[in-house]
Amino acid sequence: MKKILFLALKDLRILFSDKGNIFFVFGFPALFALFFGFVFAGSDSQPSGMKIALVDQDKSEFSSSYISLLDSSEALRVVPMGRDEAIDSVRTGKLFAAVILKNGFGNEFETMFTKDESRIEIASDPSRKMESQYLQGLLAKAQFQAMAEKFTDRDWMRNNIGDWRNEVANANDIDEKQSGLFLGFFDAFDRLLKDVNDENFQTHFDGDMMNFATTDISREREGPVTSFQITFPQAMIWGILGCAVTFAISIVQERTKGTFERLQLGPIGRAHILGGKGTACFITCVFVVCFLYIGAKLIFKLPIRNLPLFILAAVCVILCFVGLMMFICTLGRTEQSAGGAGWAMLMVMTMLGGGMVPLVFMPSWLRSLSHISPVKWSIFALEAGVWRNLSFVEMIKPLALLLAIGATAFMFGISMLRRQDK
Amino acid sequence: MIKVENLKKRFGKTVALDDVSFEAMKGEIFGLLGPNGAGKTTAIKLLCGLLKADSGTITLDGRTNPRLVEVRMSLGMVPQALAIYEELSGRENLQFFGRMYGLKGQYLKKRVKDCLELAGLSERSRERAGNYSGGMKRRLNMVCSFLHEPPILLLDEPTVGVDPQSRNLIFETIENMKRQGRTIIYTTHYMEEAQRLCDRVAILDHGRIMDIDSVENLITRHGGPSHIEAELEEKLTEPDKIRRLIDENIRFEETKIKFQTTKPLEALAKLNKSGVRFSSLKIQTANLEDVFLKLTGRRLRD
Repeated sequence: MKKILFLALKDLRILFSDKGNIFFVFGFPALFALFFGFVFAGSDSQPSGMKIALVDQDKSEFSSSYISLLDSSEALRVVPMGRDEAIDSVRTGKLFAAVILKNGFGNEFETMFTKDESRIEIASDPSRKMESQYLQGLLAKAQFQAMAEKFTDRDWMRNNIGDWRNEVANANDIDEKQSGLFLGFFDAFDRLLKDVNDENFQTHFDGDMMNFATTDISREREGPVTSFQITFPQAMIWGILGCAVTFAISIVQERTKGTFERLQLGPIGRAHILGGKGTACFITCVFVVCFLYIGAKLIFKLPIRNLPLFILAAVCVILCFVGLMMFICTLGRTEQSAGGAGWAMLMVMTMLGGGMVPLVFMPSWLRSLSHISPVKWSIFALEAGVWRNLSFVEMIKPLALLLAIGATAFMFGISMLRRQDK
Repeated sequence: MIKVENLKKRFGKTVALDDVSFEAMKGEIFGLLGPNGAGKTTAIKLLCGLLKADSGTITLDGRTNPRLVEVRMSLGMVPQALAIYEELSGRENLQFFGRMYGLKGQYLKKRVKDCLELAGLSERSRERAGNYSGGMKRRLNMVCSFLHEPPILLLDEPTVGVDPQSRNLIFETIENMKRQGRTIIYTTHYMEEAQRLCDRVAILDHGRIMDIDSVENLITRHGGPSHIEAELEEKLTEPDKIRRLIDENIRFEETKIKFQTTKPLEALAKLNKSGVRFSSLKIQTANLEDVFLKLTGRRLRD
């Protein structure tokens, strides 16, 4: 054990003698976390909603009130423009969608519900269906809000009741009994609107259409509190990846330079040498995780929901990548080939695992494919400690998968090394 | 001390060693001389257990398994490659390898100091090995194997690519090790090195040992006669007497004589005794290069 520690210390000494290594193992992950943390967090002075073009062809009082409602939404940034310019902006990718309010949009109450002719048109990028659906929801919400405002206008309501009454009275396809019921309702509603005093009208018709009781409860957040809770686990993965590749290359280097053979000549076995390498990789990964954790805690006050779970996850993730390190060192016989192949393999794993693009933005088939990536399970496990707040039982599956991947890669790597040395 | 019997090793279809047998005595420097690809490094790797022989036996100090920890502790191998950590200083390299051999405390300190002195690196011991010259790296590479004071040393071309000064220092170190009674196996493709250092030499080619003996005996046996050309102070009056004394084929050209002999010193002594006085003398003796040419039909550096 003492010799394994000497071997590990030697590797750490070599690692820290190279400024390039220090940057890629510590600096790069920290910069990654900071950069994307700030990007995802946005800026307080700038609106961060979806930017859409809005074409008002209706120019009515209703369309103006509708547009101001959309504009007041935090989820949207409305840019008024002409139809051609709006379509062109979407086509060239400058804006994600254009909303066109056609003539007659605000003239009649029914236009909002009619299926015959749509008075609102959405032109959007077909590759961004998820955002398009989200936009439709926001538009519908604004439409109902605009409609609710109309109900507070007593004259507008009485005019419309008059129109609806005439329509029912003149309709041939409604039987007499039904027609009588509707007409009776419209007459009674019109009398109510006419006779009710202003105070009562304001009390019962103004404001929300539905009366909700609200109770302030300090709720439990399901998602992350800050964007750094997402970027720091990702940054930790990048740091651990850097360590895995660096130490894999150092094994190849020992073999090409002859120091591996020289060590094998001593009274220690191959297991000692590789054990030392694994220990050094493990210690460095622990340094990386601690460095990022302390930085995130001190500078960004990063909340960690479940510290013991986070530590357990970090240990399992590191063990997994120590195992992968042993496999990567067999991918090439020179430092260049092993490093290139190792980074290529880990890049694919990282892309699939959500280390570059969050999984939520991936198509469903790619999300299914991501199950094979240890990066996905690593990020999931670290996030579980940082903000997901899973129970230990829920964590068993990802942690067991990580340990299984690490152990398999380690054993496979050792067997390949043995075969290559024969 | 070291006994190798009928050693065979193949790499796929390539025969690296074919029925190799030799023996090196305690305190002897035994050379393996051959061109690149002759099988010298394979032999060294088999001796120290880095490779496993297809057949044959190796006996090191009475033990037949070089993988045993006791056997490995008795071996010091200087690899052909510069197997040192360039990121560490010379001192740190020695400390690290010393610890790997279980050295510690004052003994480790003493051995590191001794080895640094032996390699002529004491003054630059705290510098990164990467900043050393090629010769300094070679010397460090060599003394890293002496740290644990092994009785058997296996040196695989330890002077490749070094300057003459470092080469001499390495030779002196090896001769010093021999004086201490260590058994040394020395591989080289430089016949001058084998001639200077080795008590006995095995001529190795294509994995086979062509002959083993002392350098002198090998030259005598395979090198052919020495060519002697002498300028005399005065013309010989009785050339037939000299012919009978030395060789029937001796040639006389005014005051010059030319002849070939396998025993040049003996012949010159005879001439001197019979009253012949030389004004100049040129002796061209055979060397291991000639031996190799005779045995294999090609030159060492072909």
